[in-house]
Amino acid sequence: MIVLGIACYYHDSSACIMVDGKVLAAAEEERFTRKKHDFGFPFKAIEYCLKEAGITIKEVSYIGFYEKPLIKFERVLCQHLEMFPRSFPTFFKAIPSWINEKVRVRKTIRRKLGYMGDILFIDHHLAHAASSFLVSPFKEAAIFTIDGVGEWETATYGFASGNDITLKKEINFPHSLGLLYSTATAHLGFSVNNSEYKVMGMAPYGVPRYYNDFKKIIDIRDDGSFELDMSYFVYHYKERMPSKKYIALFGPIRRPESDVTQHHKDLAASLQKVTEEVVFKALNHIFREYKCENLCMAGGVALNSVANGKIMRNTPFKSIYIVPPAGDGGCSVGAAAYVYFTLMKNKRDKDSVLDSSYLGPGFSTEEVKKFLDKNKIKFSTFRSEDELIKATVKHIYENKVVGWFQGRMEFGPRALGSRSILSNPCNPKMQDILNLKVKHREKFRPFAPVVCIEDANKYFECDSPIPMPTDFMLMVYPIRKEFRPLIPAVTHVDGSGRLQTVRRYQNPKYYELIKEFGKLSGMPILINTSFNIRGEPIVCTPYDAYKCMMGTGIDCLVMDKFLIRREDNLRDAWDSEQFAKD
Amino acid sequence: MSYLANFFKGFVAGFKHFGQGITNIVNFILTLVIYIIGVGLTSIVAKAFGKHFLSLRKTNKKSAWSAKNSHPKPDDFYRQF
Repeated sequence: MIVLGIACYYHDSSACIMVDGKVLAAAEEERFTRKKHDFGFPFKAIEYCLKEAGITIKEVSYIGFYEKPLIKFERVLCQHLEMFPRSFPTFFKAIPSWINEKVRVRKTIRRKLGYMGDILFIDHHLAHAASSFLVSPFKEAAIFTIDGVGEWETATYGFASGNDITLKKEINFPHSLGLLYSTATAHLGFSVNNSEYKVMGMAPYGVPRYYNDFKKIIDIRDDGSFELDMSYFVYHYKERMPSKKYIALFGPIRRPESDVTQHHKDLAASLQKVTEEVVFKALNHIFREYKCENLCMAGGVALNSVANGKIMRNTPFKSIYIVPPAGDGGCSVGAAAYVYFTLMKNKRDKDSVLDSSYLGPGFSTEEVKKFLDKNKIKFSTFRSEDELIKATVKHIYENKVVGWFQGRMEFGPRALGSRSILSNPCNPKMQDILNLKVKHREKFRPFAPVVCIEDANKYFECDSPIPMPTDFMLMVYPIRKEFRPLIPAVTHVDGSGRLQTVRRYQNPKYYELIKEFGKLSGMPILINTSFNIRGEPIVCTPYDAYKCMMGTGIDCLVMDKFLIRREDNLRDAWDSEQFAKD
Repeated sequence: MSYLANFFKGFVAGFKHFGQGITNIVNFILTLVIYIIGVGLTSIVAKAFGKHFLSLRKTNKKSAWSAKNSHPKPDDFYRQF
């Protein structure tokens, strides 16, 4: 049985194809269209999924869509009915796209994809829950989903066993922790639905001296439920998010690219504290209700890796699973899995566990060589994998910035060793070098370390056993004190690191590379940052990777078994600084 | 020849621009009418009867979790609502 999952029309459109219970391919639309967080119908991602499965749309048994469009439209209309006449500008802007596009999903699928089979519509938070539980290794688990907003729900919890998921309780719009976080993100001068992780990264620089002010805005109950004081927000009827009252409380909105002051850092710290309070209180309440030690989480707030890393120390849960694309992108997996396992009652087994995120497009050696030859790009060829690893490690050890393009692209917001930029974490200047040469990102943002799973506990204070989401860079843990001065480029100001752990079976070449670097440097850790410039999606094709390298200060690109040096090739007229956006 | 081609190119582009302007004005008027008559009247009547479409006010309930009402049957998933 073949099921196609689709998520689109809000942010991070994606598609996923599940064949006999195994996720065969999945990708975000942005990687193909090169529009960051592309929310359009994912034609290209679907085309890729079908190609990877070697089928046509006619062979798809079911399509699962990640929400109920008409219920969401009802919520949008309710916002306008409640806020009349102040909501006219948003009504004028948003309603045409609802009428022409968003409530016509079925028509789009029929006409533009040519699919005539069954289309099933899965509630948004149910799709989130399914994306986490049905591809997890657990037979039963407590479920917690929390994001900006789905149809009406902004947070839900429940219990799942076997193939069945029951969401028992919910918090509804406009009360939303995700939207509070987004409001603060907007107030701090960053882009909404994009830069929330920057606020999280800024938090350790501040002290939570606005915590009590935030508590005026959000009323947190003992069971982790909450209500917002809506006089501080205008997102329910305007395009911007904080109200005048919010600005009066926390000061003016920071202008993008202006200086980040201590005031901004303290706001970020206070917000993070409030977020963690909600998450831990809710999880403790959920545990009291279900007494199950397994936890599955999903939704945009589940991408808050700082909070995730503290869950096992602050709640009784013993194991956690979070799907790599925990935000809306992952809902295509959830929709497909819910149709296949829950509605069609197919059995879950070991093959259905999503323990790796390498689900995107890959390129054969022949395809890469053809690209290099066609574009007259100068390169050298490694004779063996051993030679490739040793040469790459040498470059990294010599403080070069290396583009690493190997195998299938990752599904989800993190680069996990297929489309990564790798460099030396032991060099105290490496953070500045990377920022100057490639990333152009804010100084306060740390880079992430990657370590083989066996070495993780030696260098980091991880939970034991190390939870699977650590493989997807979804957990932040403290770096052991004695090692902090040795890996300054990945040590955040509070001594933490957003590490990625690698298991050999997931990515043997990447694993060996890290081990080899350990042999040479005595420190089996690398800097792993996403292969892109600020404001662009992570690279997908050899062309994207080459263009990114040539337009930035990446010294060399290891693509399949080929080494391409920037200095050997003519620099294209591509100015990454010009294109670097928020 | 190229002068004529350029003239028609500019002419077509100008007309397209003009058409777009007209479309925007018509869209604005239609949306405004729908908003005032559809949304506005409903909103005023509903509010007169004390109906609220969003829970904007804080409650004093011990818990803000509410029970999920829907327990969908398999056939419900074929619907967009």
